[in-house]
This record gives sequence, C-alpha cells and structure tokens, in this order.
Amino acid sequence: MVAINFRSLLLFSAFLRIFLIIYGEWQDNHMEVRYTDVDYLVFSDAASLMASGRSPYERSTYRYSPLIAFLLIPNSFIHPSWGKFLFSASDLLVGSFIHAILKLRGVPEKLCTYATMIWFFNPFTFTIGTRGNCEPIVCAMILWIIHCLMNGNICQAAVWYGLVVHLRIYPIIYALPIILVLDPLCFKFGKKPNLISWVPGGKQFSQSSFSTKVTDQNSIWLIVTSSFTWRRIVFGLLSGFMFFICTGFAFYLYGWQFLHEALLYHLTRTDPRHNFSIYFYHLYLHYEREFTTTEKLISFLPQIIVQLVLIFQFSQDFPFCFFVQTLAFVAFNKVMTAQYFVWFFCLLPLILPWSNMKLKWKGLGSTLLWMGAQTHWLMWGYLLEFEGKNVFIQLWLASVLFLAANTFVLISIIRHHRYSPVFRRVELAASENPGKSD
Amino acid sequence: LKTDVSLSSCQMLQPELNNKEPKMLALHRNLIGEGSHRRLSSSVRLEIQVSAQSCQAIVIERLPSGVFADPFELQHLVRRRVFSNAAVFGDTNLELPSFRSNRSLVEVHVRIDPGMFSGDHKQLEINIELPLHARYQPLGYGISRVEFGLPDIVFSCRNEGNLHEKSCLLVPTDQGVKDEDGNIVWEVPCGNKEHAKIVSFVTFISAILSALLIVWTSVSSSNIAFTADLKQS
Repeated sequence: MVAINFRSLLLFSAFLRIFLIIYGEWQDNHMEVRYTDVDYLVFSDAASLMASGRSPYERSTYRYSPLIAFLLIPNSFIHPSWGKFLFSASDLLVGSFIHAILKLRGVPEKLCTYATMIWFFNPFTFTIGTRGNCEPIVCAMILWIIHCLMNGNICQAAVWYGLVVHLRIYPIIYALPIILVLDPLCFKFGKKPNLISWVPGGKQFSQSSFSTKVTDQNSIWLIVTSSFTWRRIVFGLLSGFMFFICTGFAFYLYGWQFLHEALLYHLTRTDPRHNFSIYFYHLYLHYEREFTTTEKLISFLPQIIVQLVLIFQFSQDFPFCFFVQTLAFVAFNKVMTAQYFVWFFCLLPLILPWSNMKLKWKGLGSTLLWMGAQTHWLMWGYLLEFEGKNVFIQLWLASVLFLAANTFVLISIIRHHRYSPVFRRVELAASENPGKSD
Repeated sequence: LKTDVSLSSCQMLQPELNNKEPKMLALHRNLIGEGSHRRLSSSVRLEIQVSAQSCQAIVIERLPSGVFADPFELQHLVRRRVFSNAAVFGDTNLELPSFRSNRSLVEVHVRIDPGMFSGDHKQLEINIELPLHARYQPLGYGISRVEFGLPDIVFSCRNEGNLHEKSCLLVPTDQGVKDEDGNIVWEVPCGNKEHAKIVSFVTFISAILSALLIVWTSVSSSNIAFTADLKQS
C-alpha cells in the first residue's frame, strides 16, 4: 500500500476545499438550489451590519456571538467568500490538531494519518466549512484545548475554553471532565504531565492503568479531598473570567438583544418544528400551553444522568469522554440538526486508535445503521416538508428510531473502547519507571 | 425601502394619472410546488394605458398567519432582478408557529416592460411568483386550510416634469374576477391532538430506556475492563 504523507494529505484537502468554495460560487449563481448554507447569508448580513456600525442582531435569526460577525467583516470589503475560506482553514486546522494530539499520545504515524483522513475526507465535514458554517472554528478550539491540556498548558486551555463557551454554549459539558482530569496526582509543579502512550490492541492494561482504575473507584472521595487544587482553581477562574469578559463586552455593545439572541435563546430553545430530536412532536403537540415543571424535569433527567455517568466513568480518558458526552448530548437534546454532528465528528478520530471494533463488519455495520436511520428520517422529513404529506407520526417514530441507532452506536463504541487514561499518575510513573517519560 | 414603497409618497390622485379607468380582464392565481415551500403565482391581465419607461406595478399581498414570506429571500430575488424591489411588513419572525404569529403584508415591485404589452399596446400582462413558506399550523385533524384573499395592485408612475413626484393608480382587483380565479387555499398538514398522550409517553419512555442502557453499558464496560486488567496482572 502506498504510504500517505500527512503534508500531501493536508495539501490535497486544502485544494479540495478551495475547489468546493469556487464551485459553490458557481452553483449559487447558476442554479436555483444554493450551495451556500443559509446561515452563511445570516453571518454575512450580520457582519455587513456590524461593518456599518450597526448591531448584528438587527439581522433576524442571527443567534451567535458578535465575534462571528466580527470575523466575517472582510466579507463586505475583501470578498463575500472570505468567511468560507476562514471556516475551511479552521477545518484544516482541526485535521492538523487531530494529527498532533494522536502523535502526542504515541500513536504510530500511519495510524495518525488514517485517523486524520476520517476528518479530512468525511463528506459531511468538508461541506460544512465550504458551505459557510462556523462549526469548524468551534471544533478547532475544542481540539486545541485538548492539546493544551495534554501539554500541561492549563492557562492557555482555560482562556480558549472560556472563549469557546462564549461562542457556542454546548462545550460547557466539558467543564466537569476537565476539572476532574486536572488531577493533582497527574500534574506536578514545573513539569509537563506524563502521558500514557498508545499500545497495540490487547496489551492496553498495564499495572499503571490498573492502579488508575482502582483509584478511580475512589474518585468521589478524591473529588472531595483534592477538588480545590490550584490548577483547578486557576482553570475555573481564568475560563470564567474569559467567558464573562467576552459576554460582558458583547452585552456592553449590544445589550439585552445580544443576551437574548446569543445566550438565552439557546438555553431555553424548544423548537416545535421537525428536527432529528425525539422531542419535536411532543413539543408541537403541547406548544399551545406552558410546560409543567415535572415535564421539563422528566425531559432533562435522561440528559443529565447520562452526562454525569459518562463523566465519572471516563473523565481520565478525556478525549473519549468528550466524544461520548457530545454524542449523548446531541442524541438527547431537545433540538437536533445535522450541523450538530460535526461536534462529535471532530472527536471521532481521537478515539479510533483505542477501539477494538473491527471495521469489517461491526464498524461498517454501525456506520450503515446510523446513516440508514438518518436517511430513513430524511425520507419522512422530505415527504412532510417537500411533498406536503401528513406524516408527523411516522417522522416522529423515525426520530425515535434514530435515537435507538445513536444509542446502539454509542453503546458499541463504549464496549469496544480500550479505556486509556491520558495522564500517568506521577507517583506510579516514578515507582514504575523512574526518570523516564513517555 | 419604506419611503420608496410607501403609497403616501404618491403626490397625485388617480384621475390625473390617466383619463381612462383601468379594467381588470383576468386574474389567475395558483400555488406552484408541493409541501411547505411554494410559490404563489399571480397572472394579471388588464386594460390600462401607462408608460413602460416611467411606471412600475406594485403587488400587495396580505398573507394569512399560516404562511410567511422570507424578507431575505425576497432581497435575493431583488438582487437577481426578478423584482425591482420587495418588502415585508408585520410579523417577520420566521420561526413561530401560526398560532403564535400575526399576519404580514408583502409588497413586490415589478418593472413595466414593453414586452408585457399586447393588443395595440393597451393590454398589460403581469406575472409574478412570490416564494412563500408554511408555518406550523394549529393542531387539528390532518390538514389545516390557509386561505388567501385577492391582492391589491397599484401602478406607481414618475411624473415626466418632476421625476421626484409620483402618481399612483389603484387597480380594483375584485371587479370581474371570479372567486375561484382569485381566492386560493393552501392545505398544510398539521399535528393531530389525539396523538398527544401516546407521543409524550413513548417519547419519555424511549429517552429513559436509552439513558438507562447507556448508563448500564458505561458502568459494566468499566467493570469488564477492570476484570480483564485484574486477570492480566
């Protein structure tokens, strides 16, 4: 098999994205169906309003941080496709960070390249950036935070974390696993944390990881006794400071309109229009009245229980924890659109080298099942939206089926994952292998 | 845009624009396409004497609360010169279901082109297609009916002496038009009230079951790892 060089892969991916952006321009000008994402038009309008000194929130349905509009101001005076290039560059950055993180974890070059290809050549991800969706920026920031944490660069990780939560609220779900992973037994003053290297399948559990698991049984006690370490406090304060500075500044500039559109809207969003979420039809059928507290609690419980269990089980293997958390978060969310899938697609290559799942047939089967359930939903969605058929009940059942597919895939991934904490605990590393670092 | 399209900016009244009363010859309306995104097609043929160089037709649609026109989509059509101008007034929140939204009014400007005239330059034919989107309808039993009334058509002409002054002429659309030609109905699927209980029950049960399965797998898989590890050590 021909060895693939990472640089040529990056170059090819860049050309593919440039080609798609140019093609998108052509399609927009010559065809009735536009290539450009409707959100990109929203960003561009908001950026143009900002450039003329007005509020980006004058553009209805602009529900993002003003930073996104600010980044796209050159759309008005350089080229309307500026933002697409920016998002696609972030998309390439995501690939580079995936490669760098896997290298840091000792994954062989060949495997790193293959894992990175899953991001670079996923048709879903490369069209997201080139159609003008801002998610690649968020993905790049999440991966950079992982990279910083692995290098022990807590302050930088905290600053980026505060910023990314300001940009897109959902990464708040990573707060607790990050706090848990900043374990005083892994981090020593003035030293980089000791990383546990990837080992080929079947030989994963060494004495050190065994001890880690044993210690994990006492994690609740550890949380209580060692929760207030200076690293955790610094991370919490710095990220909180960054979040409040950005949010406060945006509030100072655009007032309640910003707070309502970019923050409160997402926190309280209940969309009765059809989307992948199992809750959409229930919301529509009850939209004419207020939801009771019990109803709100019942719909929130599965989400919170799953998040907490995943965090306490897998936080030390935090790239894996982030992945399963994100997949579960999207699956149980009250609103689920296709762009949310990018949130976990960017983390998928980070867990593949630790998976025992054979591509043939379990891996392929899971992928086909997930895609099949999605396509099945899209078919009913098409009949409702474009054919005007009353298929609400079938569409909602397709959402339930899609939740089942998501659950099945998540369970398969968890069962086939070789749990591997990212950091070696210091006293174990010292007793096991004094003076040697991974 | 508002000042440009507002009829109050017309300085002169009908009789001064034209000596002859305009006459509606035919109005055909229908909905093109299927599903939630359709185009409201209006084909108007009338007898009128206006100048193609200085006049434009303004079609005003009063939309029922069950549908909406996307102002940004209309601006896209203005940029592509399909319309010379367009604006939406009233409820422009595109995301609200119809039982939480108000009616809106759409104003579309069309340039009068010499090609639109026929019959000794006295008959004018205007064809427009307005893109509309269905909102989520109030709950019912299968289908909700959204009814459209007749549009208003106004001719706005610049005075030859003073280009800043405009004359307006309102064309009565309800004269000589059969109801079946002008009034149309859009049947939009709606949620069924009878589904409410079973949908809520199955939704919550499936969410709880999925959550329990994930919790059980997470806990048991770390126990498997732990046991495997113990055997190896």
